[in-house]
Amino acid sequence: MQAKPNIILISADSLRANHLGCYGYSLPTSPNIDKFACDGNLFEHTFAPAIPTQPSHTTIFTGQHAITHGVVAHGGKAKLGRGTPFLPEILSGEGYTTCAVDTLFRERIWFGRGWEYIIDPSLHHVFYASVTQEELNDRAIRWMETVPKKPFFLFIHFWDVHYPYTPPDKMRGLFYKGGNPTDPENHALDEWWDHPVGAMARDTWLRTSNGLITDPNYVTALYDREIRYLDEGIAALSHALEKMGIAENTMIVLLADHGESMTDHRIFYDHYGLHDCVVHVPMIVRWPGGNLKAGTRFAPFRQLSDVAPTLLEAAGSELPDELDGKSFLPQLTGQEEPSGYDKVVGLESTWQSKYYLRTDRYKFILSRYPDLLGNPDRELFDLQADPGEDHNIAPEQPQLAAEMEMELEAFIAQKMEAAGRDEDPVRKEGPVAVEIWEQHRG
Amino acid sequence: MQQEPQKHTAADAVLPEPPAKPDEPGKAPDASSEPEQMIRPEDEAVVVERLRELGYIE
Repeated sequence: MQAKPNIILISADSLRANHLGCYGYSLPTSPNIDKFACDGNLFEHTFAPAIPTQPSHTTIFTGQHAITHGVVAHGGKAKLGRGTPFLPEILSGEGYTTCAVDTLFRERIWFGRGWEYIIDPSLHHVFYASVTQEELNDRAIRWMETVPKKPFFLFIHFWDVHYPYTPPDKMRGLFYKGGNPTDPENHALDEWWDHPVGAMARDTWLRTSNGLITDPNYVTALYDREIRYLDEGIAALSHALEKMGIAENTMIVLLADHGESMTDHRIFYDHYGLHDCVVHVPMIVRWPGGNLKAGTRFAPFRQLSDVAPTLLEAAGSELPDELDGKSFLPQLTGQEEPSGYDKVVGLESTWQSKYYLRTDRYKFILSRYPDLLGNPDRELFDLQADPGEDHNIAPEQPQLAAEMEMELEAFIAQKMEAAGRDEDPVRKEGPVAVEIWEQHRG
Repeated sequence: MQQEPQKHTAADAVLPEPPAKPDEPGKAPDASSEPEQMIRPEDEAVVVERLRELGYIE
């Protein structure tokens, strides 16, 4: 067996953790991912330090918190510094053949760094996120069969679960308990039309042969069908690795960059707001030849910034000093006791400009700018009593809210100082998309 | 603020496996009665244009 493992990093864009069976979902959206988790190691509490896609993937590839790398918004002005360590570049330097089956380089140029091969079947679509798992798998499998000089690092970025939710016809009928998806008297989605992404959905993928989809349960079913379709792709990829005889020494990390709000908190089928439905992400590792204990579930908090250091350690690479994340490889192999963070901090600056500080019991959310949903600048949730984060207890517990705010501000200041920043990147960037939202609302 | 990984007990390490899920997802009584999404060829272009306005796409 070769000394260094092959590494496959799978990012399932917008895959909400608790819509997977292995994370407790009641509907059978993910039988193959559940089996994948039983064969591997599942992290129950992984959080995105930044959302949505561009900030989160920048964290995944740099191992840095977004305050450190500075990319805090999707479509923002900040660019990743050229000297920032970048996972595929480092692995390429370690002798890995690197390949991204991905579209991200079309959004921001730094996502093209370090790849010897970039394969982009989305070029056959007008909208790149319409590319399917079958198209991506087809290219990824053919590449593995023919190209790499071992070892290889392959990144596959699946868009199926991201809106627009247009699952293949074979998924019709799944996960919808009945009713009338297009009842014109159902106005539960009307508020969504006030948002530019909602209006876009109304004008395109929510149209049906019977009229406009109006039932949110049906939209949620479409989302779940996309998960089920992705799940088939994960099975196909696993099968291909077995067939090629390389499954044993291939480390696979399956994760999401962020989750998805269904109708939670008046955020409809999108990924903003710093509630757990969006910042709690799945993370599962499988490496049959890595001496991992199959079926182990890790409860401690982890962050997506931990992925790059873990993969670098698995590749036998030295870890750059600039990384914020911590490798969890010694825990996977049983060399260390399970451990994690006692609290995590994350941010967003696209539709809202906010930070969160989350402990096992509480979450505190701090706004840098007023949000268009009219939420207060300071929110505190008791996750034990209120896991859905529906009841803001900041007015009832001002002392706790003040303590968590101080702790959050201290963390931000410490990270800024370490990164040599003199301005809070979220305050500097502001909610980059909110002006268009305001214009849309008229 | 302390953000170094914190130690947890070994008891955290092994939790029960998730329950097995049935492979058959269970179709609704009459899937064929569901409406069909009407994705027009021009819809993808509309999505791209809207997302470009938002700065999501350059």
